[in-house]
Amino acid sequence: MTAQAAGARPSELRFLDPAVLARLGTLELKARAVVEGLLSGLHRSPFKGFSVEFAEYRQYLPGDDLSAIDWKVYARTDRHYVKKFEEETNVDCYLLLDVSASMGYGSRGVTKLEYGGLLAASLAFLMNRQRDAVALTTFDDAIVTMVPPGARPSHLRSILVTLDRTTLGHRTDVSKPLHVLADGISKRGLVVFISDLLDEPAHVIDGLRHFRFRGSEVIVFHLMDPAELTFPFDRASRFRDIELGDEVMAVPSVVRQDYLDAVKGAIDRYKRELGSEGIDYRLIDTSTPLEFALISYLSTRGRRR
Amino acid sequence: MPAFLSPLFLIGAAAAAIPIAIHLFYRRTEPVIDFAAMRYLRRAPVEHSRRRRLRELLLLALRVGALVLLALAFARPYIADPVIAGSGDATLVMVDISASLSAPGRFEAARERARRAIEDAPATQAIGLATFAQALDVVAPVSQDRAGALAALAQIKPGAGATRYRAALQGAADALEGRSGRIVVITDLQQSGWDAASDAGIPESIAVAVEDVGAPETNVAVTSLRVEGGEAVAAVQNFSSRPATDQVIFAVDTQRVGAVPVALAPGATAEARVPLVSVGSGSLSASISDRDGYSADNARYAVLDADAISVLAVTPTGHPSEALYLERALTIAEGTRGFRFRSIGGAGFTAIEPAALERVGVIAVLSTRAVAQRGREQLAGFVRGGGGLLVAAGPDVDAAILKDALAGLVETTWEPRPAQALTFAPDDSRHPVFRLFGGAGTLGNVGFSRAVRVTAPASASVIARYSDGSPALVEERTSGGRVLVFGSDLNYRGNDFPLQPLFVPFIHEAVRYLASQRTSRTEYLVGELQVAAMPGVVSLPAPASGRIAVNVDPRESDPGRMTADTFQAGISRLNASAARSEEAAAKEREDGQFLWWYGLLLMVASLAAEGVLGRRLG
Repeated sequence: MTAQAAGARPSELRFLDPAVLARLGTLELKARAVVEGLLSGLHRSPFKGFSVEFAEYRQYLPGDDLSAIDWKVYARTDRHYVKKFEEETNVDCYLLLDVSASMGYGSRGVTKLEYGGLLAASLAFLMNRQRDAVALTTFDDAIVTMVPPGARPSHLRSILVTLDRTTLGHRTDVSKPLHVLADGISKRGLVVFISDLLDEPAHVIDGLRHFRFRGSEVIVFHLMDPAELTFPFDRASRFRDIELGDEVMAVPSVVRQDYLDAVKGAIDRYKRELGSEGIDYRLIDTSTPLEFALISYLSTRGRRR
Repeated sequence: MPAFLSPLFLIGAAAAAIPIAIHLFYRRTEPVIDFAAMRYLRRAPVEHSRRRRLRELLLLALRVGALVLLALAFARPYIADPVIAGSGDATLVMVDISASLSAPGRFEAARERARRAIEDAPATQAIGLATFAQALDVVAPVSQDRAGALAALAQIKPGAGATRYRAALQGAADALEGRSGRIVVITDLQQSGWDAASDAGIPESIAVAVEDVGAPETNVAVTSLRVEGGEAVAAVQNFSSRPATDQVIFAVDTQRVGAVPVALAPGATAEARVPLVSVGSGSLSASISDRDGYSADNARYAVLDADAISVLAVTPTGHPSEALYLERALTIAEGTRGFRFRSIGGAGFTAIEPAALERVGVIAVLSTRAVAQRGREQLAGFVRGGGGLLVAAGPDVDAAILKDALAGLVETTWEPRPAQALTFAPDDSRHPVFRLFGGAGTLGNVGFSRAVRVTAPASASVIARYSDGSPALVEERTSGGRVLVFGSDLNYRGNDFPLQPLFVPFIHEAVRYLASQRTSRTEYLVGELQVAAMPGVVSLPAPASGRIAVNVDPRESDPGRMTADTFQAGISRLNASAARSEEAAAKEREDGQFLWWYGLLLMVASLAAEGVLGRRLG
């Protein structure tokens, strides 16, 4: 298998459009489609070269590093097995999914919540496959649901079911749930934060900084709808806040530049301040295939290891 | 309460619907977009919908307000007189007490109708009672006191005035004080009662009901009485459609002086004459005994007094000493050829009623102190009316004031000059004033120590001159009365004329000459003067002293009647007249208030505010 640098951008044609993906059946099916599609496209496994202590054998899966195949076992059993090491299984991954009302916005058939849920499911699926323990927490201005860490296949199912049943909550206020969660994590792990970050940036950054303080690695997936990124409206309209319900009157041609500047300013601030805290920040356009987000994650994981 | 001069323009206020329609139309065209990233959008120059909606409503209100104000301004608003609070329906019963009600049984019938009208009025209505002839007299004001109205009804008596429906109805409308309701007119529907001279009216909200008490079929009246060539002449007219005979009885001071039978064809007039032998004064009456017709016109009166000339002297304060010599000179003469003298101060003359001057023949101006503008105007009016003016240019008479008062009438003026010993003599010895003196020599004894320099216009006649040739007595004849200007005083201050024997005849002749243009009226109709309420001979109070005869208006003797419909038709004309009058009054009130101007100002302000707000709103 020819190695290709993890994180390289594969051809978009090979990935599923999020809108098409949304029309698939169960969340498990969607996650599987995403992950297997992603892994089949990779020429080398992202899980390579980080042995610490042997833990177990695992049957080879496409994408696994070929160097991890135990050829002796292959000679004895005529089957491919790869070695698993202790550290790999000791990583607990915490998926934090924002389910506030603003996540219900979607201009092209897929809402941010659907996209974020699928992203969380895909990550859970991916991690479960590599025997990492996965936890899931959904929140708006408080914690809505919480699934503790677990690595069993049945645990994956409970996470997927939880995600599948997720509904929109109230307004965004990440500060409180983030601090509560940071205090509740007893073991260092990987925190994947999926949100549209429509909150006061200082509160968001402060909450995520708390995780870093507790020794966890943090990846932030900042989901934004393409309409939020480009403000494509052209008629004078009344814009209604889907969280608060209040309206403002705006002429898009007049306000567009100010809006885009405000968005860019917020993104730049997140990039700058989260980066300075050692937090990976990924801006995800919900119109782009989900695999891009996964590749971002995998590249981050690979770089960390 | 607000009212409008041109209310049709208020239809223009419907244009206010245009901005409302535009507002509603454009309001629906703005799409509503649900959006999540509002925190970024709010940093752009957007406007909160609630605030915008408020602004839009304010903008709409300003536009609508401007259009409504424009319509209001064109409708010419004004504040009408408020209707009296608490007013409700009322009934005013007005009883005819004119001379025509003096026919047998008519007044009693009127009283009975009035009683029924009061008792039949709805209990919830206020009731009032009034009598009328030439004017309305409210005897029981409009109130809930029904018993009071009935008591007042029992007290009313027939009068001798002439019927004047318009004035009475106008008074009744005023008596209702803005209430709606009903006027019950109890009358004999005398045709001559409609007076076309009045433009008064009654409001539409007041109904008028007529109660006809009927009238006699015949009436014979004494319609005039005069003294002509030593005879008393009475005119008697038969107003009925059948012949009548009667006897005219003449009396002087209640003493019968003759009786003349008269036979009258239908509608005919006859004169009865009796000679008056050596009767120079007293009251003359001529009466008949018509029992079927109006009793008030069965007698007529005249005054036989030869008219003594009334002289009013205007002095500084009215004190008798200020016109002592003039008073003494005039009061010497008594009887029918005598004079009635009275003095009055300048302030009193200013305040005097014009009627009091009516019987004054001559005014002697001995002072102009405290004679204010009104007094000066009365002086001019007196001269224009034929009154004689004797001006004594003494120290109390200001030539400037007199010139101002008599501007356009008298041009003679004077100026002071140093004390100088002078005498005076007639310039025209044939003038009536000097007719008795028979020559200049007798007047030459009068010595003057102080005199003024009189300047007479060319139109004036100098009838006496001082020994230095300057005018001493000047006569000006105006289109009305005569004016004599004497170039010194008449109270023994600048000359010794009052001490001279010639002073009395001079004053008598001068006053008679001045008064000859003025004829005194000795006959009045009932109601013309306050003291002339009933027929007869009455004495006038001071200052217009003397006796006058008061008689019934001859038009009142005509029993010709109209129908109730004709009467109501007359009221309709009143209504039309009232409508015109109200319209004129409303226009006058509106002109005075200028509310339309404020409306336009407000409209301009609204449009300016709308422009500013609209620009901000984009």
